[in-house]
Amino acid sequence: MSYYFAIVGTKDNPLFEHEFGTSKQGGDGIARFREEARHMNQFIVHSSLDIVEEVQWGSGATYLKHIDRFHSNYISCFLTGTNAKFLLLHNPDTHHPSSSSLPPSASSSSPVTQFPRHPTPSTSSRGSTYGTPSSSYNPTAPAVEESIKNFFVDVYDAWVKTVMSPFYHVDGVVRSPVFRARVQGAARKFL
Amino acid sequence: MTSPPDVDPLKSPPAAESPAASIVLPKRRHSPSASLASLPYRRSNQSLSTLFASTSSLSKSRPSSGTATPTPSAHANSPFSPGPSNGASSPLVASQGRPDEPRNLILRSFVPHVGVLASVDTEEMLQEKGFPGGLLQLVRPFGELIPGKVTIRDSIGSNRSWEDFGVRFTGLKDGLKSARRSLSGRKSTDSRPDSRGGALDNVNPAWLRTGGDITQTEEVVDRHLSFAELQQDDISMDYLNHKEFSSGTPPASSPFHALYLRRLLSALPLSPHETFSHPVACVIAISSRCENPIEELRRLYGTTNTGDLRLPQWVDNSYLRYYVLVHDEDHDDVAKSTSLYQQMTRHFGLHCHMLRIRSNECLPSDDDSVRLPSSEWISSAEELAEIQRRETSDDVDDPTPCLFESDATAIRTFVRELVVQSVIPSMERLSAQWNEQVASRRRGLSGRFMSLSKKWTPFGSSSRNSSGPMSLNSGSNSNYDSLQGFYRPDAPEATMRKLADYAFMLRDFKLAQSTYDILRSDFNSDKAWKHYAGANEMAAISTLLNVQGLTNKTRTESIDQMLETATYSYTTRCMAPYYALRTLALGLELLRLRGSSAADDAARWGSRILEAGLVGPVGHAIFTERISACYASRKGIGSGSWGSRKRKSGLLAMLAADQWAKLGKYAQAEKALKEAKALYGVADSEGEGKKLPFDGMQMLSEELDEVLSANRMGSQEWGEDTIHPNDEPPVVEEVSEELETKPHRQSLIGVPAAPFAGLEATPLTPTRMEHAEPAVENQFEATETG
Repeated sequence: MSYYFAIVGTKDNPLFEHEFGTSKQGGDGIARFREEARHMNQFIVHSSLDIVEEVQWGSGATYLKHIDRFHSNYISCFLTGTNAKFLLLHNPDTHHPSSSSLPPSASSSSPVTQFPRHPTPSTSSRGSTYGTPSSSYNPTAPAVEESIKNFFVDVYDAWVKTVMSPFYHVDGVVRSPVFRARVQGAARKFL
Repeated sequence: MTSPPDVDPLKSPPAAESPAASIVLPKRRHSPSASLASLPYRRSNQSLSTLFASTSSLSKSRPSSGTATPTPSAHANSPFSPGPSNGASSPLVASQGRPDEPRNLILRSFVPHVGVLASVDTEEMLQEKGFPGGLLQLVRPFGELIPGKVTIRDSIGSNRSWEDFGVRFTGLKDGLKSARRSLSGRKSTDSRPDSRGGALDNVNPAWLRTGGDITQTEEVVDRHLSFAELQQDDISMDYLNHKEFSSGTPPASSPFHALYLRRLLSALPLSPHETFSHPVACVIAISSRCENPIEELRRLYGTTNTGDLRLPQWVDNSYLRYYVLVHDEDHDDVAKSTSLYQQMTRHFGLHCHMLRIRSNECLPSDDDSVRLPSSEWISSAEELAEIQRRETSDDVDDPTPCLFESDATAIRTFVRELVVQSVIPSMERLSAQWNEQVASRRRGLSGRFMSLSKKWTPFGSSSRNSSGPMSLNSGSNSNYDSLQGFYRPDAPEATMRKLADYAFMLRDFKLAQSTYDILRSDFNSDKAWKHYAGANEMAAISTLLNVQGLTNKTRTESIDQMLETATYSYTTRCMAPYYALRTLALGLELLRLRGSSAADDAARWGSRILEAGLVGPVGHAIFTERISACYASRKGIGSGSWGSRKRKSGLLAMLAADQWAKLGKYAQAEKALKEAKALYGVADSEGEGKKLPFDGMQMLSEELDEVLSANRMGSQEWGEDTIHPNDEPPVVEEVSEELETKPHRQSLIGVPAAPFAGLEATPLTPTRMEHAEPAVENQFEATETG
């Protein structure tokens, strides 16, 4: 399980980014995104702002829960008062992370050859290179939603304290190491 | 250019004869390389390019547009004008590139199939005439679009006219076996182990005429793409024009996507679970040379009934037989043929026709010669074989055979008569009959009970056995033969499926939809999964084609459900990825036409295609682009345009660009990147200095820019014959010379001469090399397997 957490300002600009892995079930807390998945995560988070803008008026809650999915990347969202959005991307499949549509495999290695010859086995193997949603992971399960909520609330706490700093202005990038440490702590605690 | 000197050049320059060639040629005049057109390698390329151009669009090869005199199209003089002029008279052409094009495409892809069976003497006569494929080759292109209006009466009794009706002429056993396709999940009675021969030319032509192979579709589209890539200067203008049509608004459809879809829907394979490709009628032809004509006709009829042309037992054998006498105008006596024809009508009734054609071979230089129009709905395998044949042959001329104008007219009359007077009336009659006898019984209240009692058998299995009057396998109440996986053609379920398919082909979508709906529950209780999937697929598609104002609720509830079930059953239960792809692709197109509220659903089904891994790399890029277009078509509300999907669309366009670049299709990549930038609001024209919000996004965009501009630079440098400081090129050249397909090789011949600027783009810089390599590999695969 890998996570990518981003705080996005009012002009779609990132204010804070952080990557981490799960600390539960013996996880070491290190994100296992592939190298090319790094910018994909940003693209995906950015694209789900479309959905955020749509659903944010639907309910009074600030925690919007799981809102979007791109292949096996799930997005959860939390809104803050200043319209800065917390977006958490969770990717359950650590072996085939979000490479999905940037398939280096699709062009460099063999799917071309694999695909036609053995339709049956390759359907499954290709499925995984493109990042099929893992069936075992359910982003809307109450336990998952609850733990993400706890994480968001914890981060929100830290966030409010950080932006209360007199030197911070709206839509500015947050560089505070203290804040980063707080996010790390929350991640270790809940995710 | 190669025409014999005695021909008046004004009248019929042979190269400009086919309508497609008349589109290609004028452009060449303007390309800087026009003077090279006389060189042999350019010329053999030309016949190939005709092929590519003619197959890239639906309507250029309309039979009626084949004229003996070349009409210089208006846009020929300026390669930059959009040029809707070539054939704007036809509504079909007008619809090309317009948003409702996919709908027309779908309507035109599910049409009645008519088998063609000719006696040996007929085939001989036509082979002398220059048609090695015999009668089928001669009539096939003419069936694709019936000239004039065709009026069809629907189940309520109202008439509707269609201008774009057509039929597919096929060989009787076409579509049974394809050159390579997995036969798992379909256990037909006579399924042979499918063997994939090395080369396509060694394969039985009937196998070639079988579609339903995703891989071959990919290969064909890949060939077209590579060709467009090579011909950036002149030919690709044709491709680009389609985009320019709708500049400003998001493009309705890229020509390659349309091609992909068309090849996907061409030559539907024969399968027990749907009857679209089952013959509706069969043309049985003899010629006037035949010595014992009536006997011969009887013999031919016999072969379709009991002989070796008998279709497998899941195909209903009582299709219409249509008897044709091919009269040889040049050698035989009309009076004799007429009396024979009268004898035929006495024996066989109304379904007869006398086709009068000349048996002499028609040369392109003859006065009233017309080239045989090219078939639009050929299968991918056929097109691949054709491309290969033209690539390897040194023949300068277009190898398409010619026929006399009078012959063409005679065939058109024949086809129209066949369709309007025999095929459609008999289909109407049969569907009315089935509707009354079989389907309406199931529609009323008692029908509901019947299906209920089928589902819930409260008295246990013992009563089940006894209560099944028509059971095939004792022990089950259903007509479904689960061992072999089909319903016998006389079973009510099979009849209803046929009724629904007939209604669909006759474009009576209401009847089709209601029948498919009944079938869904039947097939489900019989656990006939492939049939079930098929009924769900077609129910969804006919609903989408039918109801104009579909509420959101019905859409999300019923259509999503049906598409979901169909896809799941096809992929998981039946291992039939082709049908799953067809379901999803059609669902995507039709939902997209439903306006912005359905665009999300359309995009969702599109992502489903990618996630399920149904397509190869080319299809992946094409569908990624398509999903981007779906999202882009969704408009937001209010000043903030809330609810629009610009960012999502941008993401997918960016991904498509990346993918095209990785496949080495730089022209496509450039287009997609431009679109992505426009969607993100950082297009070069407006957003000077603007950056994408996230670093990683900006990075990817810049990387792509770099790759593309390196590629552009590369092709320029090549033209200017600059020495590049790069030590890789020798290796690159070696690779491409060995592995590239013909067009590339041809252009390599041309390399020493400097003025070939822009004719091709060969990898030069190391950056490009990395990305170009896979493409080379792909093509190697293509040549090896193809």
